[in-house]
Amino acid sequence: MSDESPVVLGIETSCDETGIGVVAGSKLLSNVLASQVDQHARFGGVVPEVAARAHVEAIRYLTHRALAQAGLHQSDLDGVAATRGPGLVGALVVGYAFAKSLAWALDKPFVGVNHLEGHLLAPMLSNAGFEPPAVVLLASGGHTVVIHMKAWGEYESLGATIDDAAGEALDKTARFLGLGYPGGPAIDREAESGDPAAVAFPRALADRPYDFSFSGLKTSLITYVREHRDAGTLPAISDVAASLQEAVVDVLVEKTFNAVDAMGVKVVGGGGGVMANRRLRQRLEEESSARGVKLFIPDTELCTDNGAMIAMAGAQRLTRGETTDLGSDVSVSLRLGA
Amino acid sequence: MKILAIETATPASSVALGVDDELLAMSFQVDRRGHVGFLVPAMEFCFKQTGWKPADIDAVVVDVGPGLFTGIRAGLATAQGVAAATGAQLVGLTSLDALAFRAATGHRMIWPVVDMRREEVAVAAYRPVPGGVMKEGAPEVVSPAGFAGLLDATDSDILVVGDHQALPDGTLRGLHRVRTGRPRWPSADVLLELAAGRLARGEPAAPDEVRPLYLREPDVVINWKDFREEAAWKQG
Ligand SMILES: [Zn+2]
Repeated sequence: MSDESPVVLGIETSCDETGIGVVAGSKLLSNVLASQVDQHARFGGVVPEVAARAHVEAIRYLTHRALAQAGLHQSDLDGVAATRGPGLVGALVVGYAFAKSLAWALDKPFVGVNHLEGHLLAPMLSNAGFEPPAVVLLASGGHTVVIHMKAWGEYESLGATIDDAAGEALDKTARFLGLGYPGGPAIDREAESGDPAAVAFPRALADRPYDFSFSGLKTSLITYVREHRDAGTLPAISDVAASLQEAVVDVLVEKTFNAVDAMGVKVVGGGGGVMANRRLRQRLEEESSARGVKLFIPDTELCTDNGAMIAMAGAQRLTRGETTDLGSDVSVSLRLGA
Repeated sequence: MKILAIETATPASSVALGVDDELLAMSFQVDRRGHVGFLVPAMEFCFKQTGWKPADIDAVVVDVGPGLFTGIRAGLATAQGVAAATGAQLVGLTSLDALAFRAATGHRMIWPVVDMRREEVAVAAYRPVPGGVMKEGAPEVVSPAGFAGLLDATDSDILVVGDHQALPDGTLRGLHRVRTGRPRWPSADVLLELAAGRLARGEPAAPDEVRPLYLREPDVVINWKDFREEAAWKQG
């Protein structure tokens, strides 16, 4: 792939953000988003039917805006890409059906993209030098996974969460603490003035080098609060938030660098909404520089779900001559490398 | 005027192409989960039959529901994709309109039925008039018993069409004025005919007015226990 071709429109509707982006090769031309956070906030989480309804309202207008911001006409495109999975079926269908018919009517190639591959390649959009072999940590409300990127298009999932995703754990604990939704930013803010060593929350699955478990965190939080409230020894909420955050960050960092050490890579990447967490970024930077490996984390708007990363992954596949059948359907549990 | 029609509001999917109300090509399948995979190959087939290109299309008509939510959105997103690529105008029609229009013969009032699942159906009343049907009141979502009650409350002869097989056995028993008939599913050829009439009368909607007709609020299951826990901290 040359630096500035092919020109690809990418459409992402796997969850609660309608994201449309345009890239030229690995160059970002535009990235627009209709976030539904406000719509879901009152329910304390993503409501699949609400998400699907919002996508169908936003998709045509946003596509128009993404092209306009890129300064392009749709006839300038070399291809159209859309997220095929994994994700919520009703949400995926909107972007996938729209992208397929747009590509077909424009007589342009179409590529269905794995959402996780989009996250994996996103670091290329804001940084030169991100390339395999690398280890990438993806942590969001939907997934928590450590991936060994052996070559372009060749990925091995080394480990993943066996229950809740990291972002989901932050949402659940923030809700219990009354900090609101989404939980990640709320805990990040609250933790700023807290003591991360105030409460010793558990670090699960210490015996499995690359796997995560976060479902126990909420239970231990509830138990802790109840016991200490009854005893009148509850610390400040900022201390509890900082301690929770430290427990999540600790395991994310530890498992990522277990993989870095074992695979012997010199490049580390990060993606997913949890990467917006300041403590996580700081710890990843510390560990990277201690080992002399290069860390690539895109800007926050490219870490969270977005269309540009899908366009980027689509551009790379198109360059390799890969396209997807227009008779294909979405795949809610699409596996990486499938 | 060259029209593309897209129908995916029920388990039946179809695509049709025509000039005004004259059908030239059509593809049809019944598969509750097959909407997304069906649509583009079906369009390719129809365009190959007519020798047209997508850019030749003047209007895209799509069924906006009521019906299967995912099917409705697959059809509308597909129609929006074609409209965005070609500049064709978008027309939205309802599944109940399409069913009633196809059934419009004789003197009976026509009540189309669309399965909404969870033991509810969407229904509306139509009166046959020369050249089509006239809607008598807004569509509503009712239980099978509620539907029987609506039919029983009228004093005209009635033809129930659409997916009346979705009603539990015996729902219409004892309603002597009621007959059942076809079609079971709305289809793209009927959308084409209906849209041609509407376009000829100069009634197309603006693109952002073509929106799904869900007739049901999204299902939101709130975990009230978790919500109450929020207060735990402030009390402590
Ligand atoms: Zn994601």
